[in-house]
Amino acid sequence: MKRIWASKMHKLYKRHILGGIIIWLVCNLLLACHDMRFESAEELSAFVYNENNHYTQHKIINGVRFDLTYKPTDLMVSQQIGDTGSDTRIGQLRKQYGNHLYFTLKMSKNDQELLTSAVSNRVEFGEMVHQLSFEMQEKVQLTTSSKEAIAMTDFIYPRMYGLSKATSILFVFPRDSRVLEADYLNFTIADLGLMTGEVRFKLETAKLMKEPRLF
Amino acid sequence: MKMYKITLVFAVAGFMCGAMALLFTYNSSQQVYVDVNKLLDGYERTKVVRSEYESKAKTLQANVDSLLNAWQKEITTYEKERSAMSKKELELKQQLLSSQQRQISNYQQAIEQQLQEEDQKSTQTVINDINDYIKEFGERNGYRMIYGASGGGNIMYASDAADLTDEVLTGLNEAYLGQ
Repeated sequence: MKRIWASKMHKLYKRHILGGIIIWLVCNLLLACHDMRFESAEELSAFVYNENNHYTQHKIINGVRFDLTYKPTDLMVSQQIGDTGSDTRIGQLRKQYGNHLYFTLKMSKNDQELLTSAVSNRVEFGEMVHQLSFEMQEKVQLTTSSKEAIAMTDFIYPRMYGLSKATSILFVFPRDSRVLEADYLNFTIADLGLMTGEVRFKLETAKLMKEPRLF
Repeated sequence: MKMYKITLVFAVAGFMCGAMALLFTYNSSQQVYVDVNKLLDGYERTKVVRSEYESKAKTLQANVDSLLNAWQKEITTYEKERSAMSKKELELKQQLLSSQQRQISNYQQAIEQQLQEEDQKSTQTVINDINDYIKEFGERNGYRMIYGASGGGNIMYASDAADLTDEVLTGLNEAYLGQ
């Protein structure tokens, strides 16, 4: 009697363990397959700008705030087409933007643009305009974990004439094999005369490559 | 027999999870510190930026010295030739020399300010690196707080076990040298 009971319990126990393992495997499979997809450009944008999701980071050094955002391909696509667009058009744009990495760097002091808050005379103003317009290629660097520098493709600095709360610059880098193979990337900004020293943002490549998608 | 084995496996796994949780709680509740001065001195990048700064300072100081030497030569020549000069010439020469002196003095001040700024920038760069690494180290090892001792009396006593300076310094240098 005792033996039969033990055998029944053993079977029951085995079945539970097996069930548990299957549930665990299914959960893992679901998590692995889980793709971050968003229905609207707004949702995608909110996700990217939420620092908990690791696409945006910020630092405050000597009163200067730096916000760095990696802009996933689909965010660039959504900025061009909004929430509407045919699959073909989306495909074309994904292909067009997919070859590059896009970063937005925002810099501000006292919630104002650098040209409004961080310069005290005409000479400094002129120097800052020149730096932001023409010298950012030398001031900003993207390097891999093995210290290989990724040459900047381009940068765009739109003047906002004090209407914005931060100086915002878009940086474009090629998405080449060195980026994909690196464990992490370092985005460094040299001192722009604001006594911040060199400011560095560390970006985990795996996180960047697992891009959130639209639709 | 098989069932006992499974139970044993689960028990060991449970024990290990408990031990890990305990270790994590212990780490996060531990009071630890780093010696900031030691980190600044021992960090490889400090040596690099210091040497860059010194080389820049030397070049700029050499510029000032050469200007001063040229001016002093002019003074010597003026001293020698002043007896042969007319009153008007003397006046003009004196004006020229004092104007040169003012220019050199302004240049010297500008150089000093530039060097001070360079020093501030490079020190801030090193501090940024250290702050970044300590943040990463703390997060990775589950510390809730890491104090920074600077020899100014903010930490009066701490046991050697609470001192993470060497461990942090090794990791910091490895990260900088890309190892």
